[in-house]
Amino acid sequence: MSEYLPFIIIGLATGSVYAIAAMGLTVTYTTSGVFNFAHGAVGMIATFIFYSLRVDAGLPTALAMAIAVLGVGPAVGVVIDRVLLRRLDGATAATYVVVSLGLLVALQGLAIWIYGPATRSLAPIFPHSTFRLPGVNVGWDQVILVAIAAGAGLGLALFFRYSRLGIQTRAVVDDPGLTELEGLDSGLITTFSWMLGCSFAALAGVLLAPLLGVDAVLLTLLAIQVFGAAVIGRLTSLPLTYFGAMLIGLGQALATKLVTGHQALNGLPTSLPFIILFAVLVLSPKGFFQEVVRTKAAAVRTGRRALGRVFPWPVLVSLVAVAVVLPARLSGARLLTATSTLGFVLVFASLSLLIGLSRQVSLCHAVFVVFGATTLAHLRNMGVPYLPALLLAALVMVPVGALVAIPAIRLSGLFLALATFGFGILAQNLLFLTKFAFGAGSVVRIPRPTVFGVDLGGDKSFYYFVLICVVLGVIAVEAVRVTRLGRVLRALADSPTATESLGINPTAARVIVFCVGAFLAAIAGGLLGTLTQVVNTTTFDFFQSLVWVTVLVTTGAATIGGSVLASLLLVTAPTIFTSKTFVELQPVFFGVAAILLAQARNGLVGLVPRPDFSALADQSAWRGGSRRLAERSVPETTVPSTGVPSMGVRA
Amino acid sequence: MIALDVAGLRGGYGRTEVLHGVDLRVPAGKAVALLGSNGAGKTTLLRTIAGLNPTRSGTIRLNGESIGHRPAHARARAGICLIPEGRGIFRRLSVQENLAMHGGRRDIAEVIDRVASLFPILEERLGQQAGTLSGGQQQMLALARALVKDPTVVLADELSVGLAPVVVDEILEALNVLRAEGRSLLIVEQYVERAVAMADYVYILNKGAVVFVGEPRQCASGAVFERYLGGAA
Repeated sequence: MSEYLPFIIIGLATGSVYAIAAMGLTVTYTTSGVFNFAHGAVGMIATFIFYSLRVDAGLPTALAMAIAVLGVGPAVGVVIDRVLLRRLDGATAATYVVVSLGLLVALQGLAIWIYGPATRSLAPIFPHSTFRLPGVNVGWDQVILVAIAAGAGLGLALFFRYSRLGIQTRAVVDDPGLTELEGLDSGLITTFSWMLGCSFAALAGVLLAPLLGVDAVLLTLLAIQVFGAAVIGRLTSLPLTYFGAMLIGLGQALATKLVTGHQALNGLPTSLPFIILFAVLVLSPKGFFQEVVRTKAAAVRTGRRALGRVFPWPVLVSLVAVAVVLPARLSGARLLTATSTLGFVLVFASLSLLIGLSRQVSLCHAVFVVFGATTLAHLRNMGVPYLPALLLAALVMVPVGALVAIPAIRLSGLFLALATFGFGILAQNLLFLTKFAFGAGSVVRIPRPTVFGVDLGGDKSFYYFVLICVVLGVIAVEAVRVTRLGRVLRALADSPTATESLGINPTAARVIVFCVGAFLAAIAGGLLGTLTQVVNTTTFDFFQSLVWVTVLVTTGAATIGGSVLASLLLVTAPTIFTSKTFVELQPVFFGVAAILLAQARNGLVGLVPRPDFSALADQSAWRGGSRRLAERSVPETTVPSTGVPSMGVRA
Repeated sequence: MIALDVAGLRGGYGRTEVLHGVDLRVPAGKAVALLGSNGAGKTTLLRTIAGLNPTRSGTIRLNGESIGHRPAHARARAGICLIPEGRGIFRRLSVQENLAMHGGRRDIAEVIDRVASLFPILEERLGQQAGTLSGGQQQMLALARALVKDPTVVLADELSVGLAPVVVDEILEALNVLRAEGRSLLIVEQYVERAVAMADYVYILNKGAVVFVGEPRQCASGAVFERYLGGAA
């Protein structure tokens, strides 16, 4: 037993830091209804500023910490609430997910651009000396961490229970409209809760930095690990969130001890929060998780034509025509880029089925792409011919897609995003190094094949092969859009209740769209893997899934044009604009653009005016009709002579 | 003196206009009953006056001061108090917390004494979570919260919905107490006759416009309702 004691102490200390971050996340979610995927990134930014102040500017630690936690954290909170979120009143849950993802991608890109990707070490903040308890040495710094978290938790509890602002904050959580009727500015109270929540994120980041180093990716992700704790607290209960964080901290530390010597399980400790996240979300009874709806009445948008109802033959034919003549003008690296761009068109087209058509934010798309590539490699090694192997690899992903669809059946917008996010990281941490994916070597090779007697070893021939596959895939995607399945998914995105009341089974549609998406993404993964011939664990890491969502939302998720533009911006643009600044700022651009365009009808593509005269005719008829209707519905006011307002009521 | 003066008010949801230029006046210390069939725009009118729905055009004046451009919380502070349809209480807060939201201006003990004199049952349940009270008690609490805020104009939206008749009596009696204290009332009520009985003036709203303004005695025969509400009353 005594060999576990040091791990329990470590677990309590890290659990305490998670608890601080998780309580901050819960405070902002309950008061604003916006789950901040960028909560970790906020902590990360504050930690970098703390580093600059303490190390570069030489400020005393306490002062630097105070500025980071009480200045930077709350300031970021104000910006998030007032600049990013306030203009989104009435948006859907998926929009808020996209906006906070955009913020996450942008903040992380910004930190890497300013500070570089290297991890910086930071001297301890608290005394490192230890004292002896029976069977174990305990560091004073660990005691201080536990005390800070306990103090913060207790402070929050007392604040919400007894202070007037605390009670008013709970009133906003309960009913923001009614709070306004009380004469209280619910917007101001929400801003305050963002300041509070973000300063907790900053505090957690600053406390973690000496243990982990100051690293943009690590800090962002580690603070994201608090999602598990927040979900244990159902995103609403502070005591349960605190308990959940402690549980995860302890679980991780003990798992580290338990897996020692089992190489295959090395990923378990870091995956534990996501196992918990995924398990809690998937296994909880239906209705256990209720989204906090904190949006004002949605803006009613009428008179718009739905996108993607007609098969886009003209667009598709034009794009294919350009793609067919392109290799004549390209060679070498440019041709490889063009082929890669084609492959990514299929990645984005398959993702657009989920995001654009059924409005389900899936954050694990890279998993399908990766497993498409690795499964293809394994099948090729077994001697399966290329085409059957490619199809088989994609078919293997269909049940995986169905598995991911389970949360989609049971959970709405935010919780689906969270579950797929957890699944993405789980797959990467637990499965990538197994023999099902990359194996211990972390790499798979897929030599170029010969198909129907045509040697695809040449870049040009392979380009055309990819083009054929991608065109078939895109036709499949567009076919889904214009057929009954597409209509059902569009209807489900609009109103699940109304759709079910028509006798339509929503489960089947949601499962099928995930399966089709997974199938096509796996095909794309196989093609991209064959293009580079070598795929390793970092080629498509889970963070790519997040970036892809922001890119697709930026360019437009509802039509094929958006997928093509997404691929051009993500894959082609960095090979044309090769300056370091451009490449490093690319994620910042996508993050900011996703934030700005999250509510747009169809991203950048949707901003391009399309001369569609039939639509104009439809709309003018509609408008004229509504005006006539309005004119008719205004009644003739028949006020009796004895009762004109000025007479009857003037006292 | 006119406490609440609404002139040419247009408003609605999104592009849909619901109120097509409503004129309405509530004199100080008087009660006005606002009647109309379902969908006439009564609730929209109250919410627009309170600032929960946007105003497209028109003016809203409270004691002569224009408040139509202010946000809901500022109107509430100026003296408009909407008791919304359903239960206007914070369900997850305790009864005392519901009442103490505005402590500071008055001593909380004094507030509770005052509430207790009107609704003794609430005093017994100060620590209870408001959402677990019975429907009648919840509505009492909503009214008590209105009392605490010391409003100039109370907008009461269908307070009696879903309540037992005996509780309705108690609730409407509390509205009378508010009026006796000199506050102005604008009442939307499903029990038309009772609303008319306690009102000084009656407005009938139809399809988003005022179609009748008069005194309760003009409504006595029922012909007015026959004419403007198609016999709805």
